[in-house]
Amino acid sequence: MAAWINIYKKEMKDAVRDRRSVMAALSYSIGTPLIMCLLFVAMIDKFSSPSALYITMENSRQALELMRHLASHDIFPDAELPEGKTAKAITLQIDKNYLYAMQHGELAKVTITADFSDDNLRSSIRRVQRELQSFSREVAALRLLTRGVSPEVIRVLDVQAKDTAKPEAKGGFIIGVAIFMMIYAVFISGMNLAIDTSAGERERNSLALMLSLPIRVGDLVLGKLLAVSSFALFGLCMILLVSKIAYSFVPWQDLGANVIIDARFALYMLLFSFPLGLLAASMQLFVSFMAKTFKEAQSYLTIVLIVPMGMAMVTGYDIGPDVLRWLPVSGQQKALMEVVKGNALPWDSLLIATAITLLLTGALVAALIKLLSSEKTVFSL
Amino acid sequence: MIEVQGLTKKIADVQALDGLSFSAEDGKITGLLGPNGAGKTTCLRTLFNLLRADDGWARVDGVDVSVEPLAAKQTLGLFPDPFGLYERLSPREYIGFFAELNGLGKAAAQQACSEVLERLQMQDIADRRCKGFSQGQRMKTALAQAIVHKPKNIVLDEPTRGLDVMSTRTLRDLLLSLKADGHCILFSSHVMQEVSALCDEVVVMAAGRAIAQGSPQELCERTGQDSLEEAFIALIGSDEGIAA
Repeated sequence: MAAWINIYKKEMKDAVRDRRSVMAALSYSIGTPLIMCLLFVAMIDKFSSPSALYITMENSRQALELMRHLASHDIFPDAELPEGKTAKAITLQIDKNYLYAMQHGELAKVTITADFSDDNLRSSIRRVQRELQSFSREVAALRLLTRGVSPEVIRVLDVQAKDTAKPEAKGGFIIGVAIFMMIYAVFISGMNLAIDTSAGERERNSLALMLSLPIRVGDLVLGKLLAVSSFALFGLCMILLVSKIAYSFVPWQDLGANVIIDARFALYMLLFSFPLGLLAASMQLFVSFMAKTFKEAQSYLTIVLIVPMGMAMVTGYDIGPDVLRWLPVSGQQKALMEVVKGNALPWDSLLIATAITLLLTGALVAALIKLLSSEKTVFSL
Repeated sequence: MIEVQGLTKKIADVQALDGLSFSAEDGKITGLLGPNGAGKTTCLRTLFNLLRADDGWARVDGVDVSVEPLAAKQTLGLFPDPFGLYERLSPREYIGFFAELNGLGKAAAQQACSEVLERLQMQDIADRRCKGFSQGQRMKTALAQAIVHKPKNIVLDEPTRGLDVMSTRTLRDLLLSLKADGHCILFSSHVMQEVSALCDEVVVMAAGRAIAQGSPQELCERTGQDSLEEAFIALIGSDEGIAA
């Protein structure tokens, strides 16, 4: 049997028995979708306007018609607040001359008072404003009619908006975050094993013995690389599974986004992320073989892991330069976002991103072999 | 058969090996004796091509380790110092793993593993995980790993360090029986009693050089001393770093 298979099998056996490694792989994969799920539900609460909106209305007796209009669009004064519901901190103040102005065809003043910077209120404020405008248009049309003028006269542009986005395509940011959290599992799940099998090997004084064996350094690196990648992909499978269950509890229609984890998405996710698993493993092994102790490796890796996180974040927010779609992590993420949105796959950029991922992995493996062939590194001379 | 000729190695600013030459023959136990910092460990690491010599050569059964490291390593077994076990594996798994990496097939590795476990009387701990083993049990496990594939040449770096009387005796018996089987055994030590009790040949090392080689008897005669310890001190010219 080839030496790398023996090393792979031993590393896997060793790692599966290591509670710390298994917990590291599992805790992120299980915890993250649950946290994301709670976060999304909280976001819906925060950003969307409740179906029945209760606000403070002052001097409303002067504007009964307006009140009726608002009520027909589910906006009610907080005086009618049913038990168990909360009113939004928006005050609609009817001017004391409102009734007089209305009756005489003059400009009637209403004031909306609220903290416009509050994310919680933004969509509710917009809704109140929208309904006030529509009431204003209706009354204006009636005023023109009574003066024998067609209301069409004051309509200049007939603006028609046609949304070409598929229902799945909305909420790109949320989709981006959800996918990034899954891809990141590849980087988190194998990390503990990567450290244990490299810096840990050195720390427990077993590295020199491994290198004294009649095996090629390449076999040693390959066995370790595949073991760490296996853990990374195991974490990815777990997070897909848990996300599938957890995300079914998110009321996506209220968020305007939809992250459906079906067989097609899962297949693409595993397929595109496989090279990323190899890249993550080789990077983590390389970094932690340079460290002398477990703790040292941990602190190095924490810094290094900011890079893929940053690339994925930038892609999620869609604020990065165009070149990101050709690069590892961001390239795969972009392609997966297209899968979720139901769009065509950007094969050209995906293939280049994958090729760069594999090239980087190859370069890191070569560097690892060189590192472990160097007596300076092995014995920290 | 291990031969070393004119080995030179500078590590940072220290001349760790300075033209070291000696040989260790089959069917004999050869002790590498020297004070701390004499270059014993550096020498053994060079034998496994873990360190590359600046000059000179090391041959194992006639194979130059720097030219054909894999072929040379196939005839070598190593008990390193310091040694670390994989704590989550049992001795059977640990020894079997090394047996396979040393080129044995799966069935042969299992067979060899059972034999060595029996030889070292480790059956009672064979399937327990190494975590929590005593120093003696750990030493036996590491020793079993070094000899499981029956290498012609066995190299041990400070094998008696930290062992109690019983474990030392087990080790001694094992080395003697391996010698009887015709193996070439090279071990480094700075413990006089071990060396004089076990070794057929002693290589006295100091400052990266072999000062003398011969049987303990010969060394005593050459220096006109009664014990190996006195002979050793006479040879290296100081009593620096000697643990009796």
